[in-house]
Amino acid sequence: MIWLSWRQFRWQALTAAVTIVLAGAWLLYFGFDVRDAHSAARSACRTGSGCHQAMAEFEARYRETMYFVAAGLGLGLALLGTFWGAPMVARELEAGTHRLVWNQSITRRRWLTTKLLLTALAAMSTTAVISALLTWAARPVDEASANRFDTIIFGTRNIAPIGYALFAVTLGTVVGLLVRRTLPAIAITLVAFIAVQFAVPNLVRPHLLPAKTATMAMPTEVIDQARNLGGIGGGSVIGGITLPDEPGAWISSTSPLLTADGHPLSASRFNRCLNNPPMTGAHGTFGNTAPCLGKLNLHLKITYQPSGRYWSFQLLETALYVLLSALLAAFALRRVRHHLT
Amino acid sequence: MPHDDPRPPVLRAEGLTKRYGRRRRPALDGIDLTIPPDRIIGLVGPNGAGKSTLLHMACGLTEPTSGSLQILGSRPAADAAHLARVGFMAQDAPVYRSFTVAEHLRLGARLNPGWDMAFAERRVREAGLDPSQKAGGLSGGQRAQLALTIAAAKRPDLLIFDEPAAALDPLARQGFLQSLMSFVADLKAGAILSSHLLGDVQRVCDHIIVLCDARVQIAGDVTDLLATHCRLPSAHVPAGAELIDGSLARFTVPPPPETEPVTLEELVLAYMTRAELSPARALQEVAR
Repeated sequence: MIWLSWRQFRWQALTAAVTIVLAGAWLLYFGFDVRDAHSAARSACRTGSGCHQAMAEFEARYRETMYFVAAGLGLGLALLGTFWGAPMVARELEAGTHRLVWNQSITRRRWLTTKLLLTALAAMSTTAVISALLTWAARPVDEASANRFDTIIFGTRNIAPIGYALFAVTLGTVVGLLVRRTLPAIAITLVAFIAVQFAVPNLVRPHLLPAKTATMAMPTEVIDQARNLGGIGGGSVIGGITLPDEPGAWISSTSPLLTADGHPLSASRFNRCLNNPPMTGAHGTFGNTAPCLGKLNLHLKITYQPSGRYWSFQLLETALYVLLSALLAAFALRRVRHHLT
Repeated sequence: MPHDDPRPPVLRAEGLTKRYGRRRRPALDGIDLTIPPDRIIGLVGPNGAGKSTLLHMACGLTEPTSGSLQILGSRPAADAAHLARVGFMAQDAPVYRSFTVAEHLRLGARLNPGWDMAFAERRVREAGLDPSQKAGGLSGGQRAQLALTIAAAKRPDLLIFDEPAAALDPLARQGFLQSLMSFVADLKAGAILSSHLLGDVQRVCDHIIVLCDARVQIAGDVTDLLATHCRLPSAHVPAGAELIDGSLARFTVPPPPETEPVTLEELVLAYMTRAELSPARALQEVAR
């Protein structure tokens, strides 16, 4: 059975090998490029002039590339589902060859188990190589940005992508088994995989571990460290806060600015500070607005995941995908035995 | 079937029913059937009669909606050992288009512990197949020969063929049926083949099942059937006879001398016509 699986898998295996060579070569090049830029930024630190700014520029220079690479990896994972998973059973059903292979002296369960295992292992090891190289290449940028929990970046580093690869292949196989035709199976797998990849980071990941909460006072200096004030929907909100004693923590939610009695700051007082604050000659990010708000004795309620939980989250998310894949595989093995009419 | 035969029947169906979808007419409707060993069985009936459904159930590709089916004494495709005992050649002889003929033999060798490579290679040579040719480039007749070889070289106890010769031209059909007969003789295997062409069945089978309208109309050894069916000389139906269609009748007692013998073709057509005219009257009987 291993011979047959391998014989039917050899083009995919060749694709994987070519992908590893090409993507691997580029990632090596990219990794060294990042390290050159990093040491240049650090030498700016040693000379003492504008270390913070140099590091921020270094991080900003690669930010876009990081998202492009993440998109590429996400697409590659989806392709594993559509071109390795979906046709695995669907192509046999479509061509009628299941009637040939299922009448050899081997049970359908063993047939599917062998094919699924071989394909999943190939997908996982290909992804593991790419993910390891990407994690290595991006490390200086990731350290500088201290944002490893980023919705998109998190899923492209370390072990999480290996779980996604397993899931993509299993999902594709099950869809192919249910839909029985290759092309619709490919389309459905693509849509379903992307839907899961959007749903998990936004809806599931924040709840994998119970979040911690913190109250944070909002004096003028802290307000000036934020990224933005106010929002599209109005209201006295502040964005881009980092916790001073928990660098790199994943802030999952931030309350509006609260007054000392715990009520949200009224929109009229917030807007007064925003639009015509008293002139104090302040030069922070938000100019005169920051001291105007700072004087109001405001605070924030923040829920967050400490940065020390990064590996717990990597493990939990991977385990979640492995569990989903195991359920799908169990369903497929049941289905292939009984309900194929 | 003699009662002292210790071997289980090749096929035993009890109340076997298959429905595709809840509202649709059943493809098989409460089939009761027992097929004794050592026969070459012809399953005949018009297109859509349920022949493929019955054969797919016999090799485990389809599960019955209700009723039971046993092949060689156990559930179809029960385990690897049982799969090894049944060879199946599906309609249109599916093969892997990108595999060469030799790779198909290798597939057979890898997936069947009882695979007889010498036999397979000899059959491929005799059928004039080039081992290095891709199966996608084979003619219909060559593909059927390849599929037949794969089904037979695992040395099963029972070979099942679903419309094996339907897509072949007369010459290829002739060659194919000859191969089929010699395979069955070589292997000392039982065989079931379905066909809507009575001529094929007549040439190779010694046991006939007429399947029409989702039910078995008549089943039995050809010699027995010919001995118990006669054409009546007049419209009068004597005691112990049942009129099937036209003047053709089935006798439960030895037919009187003034009746005329019938051919197998006439017999099968009579049952098919009766099923067509009055589906409700269709009998389910196993001739002994």
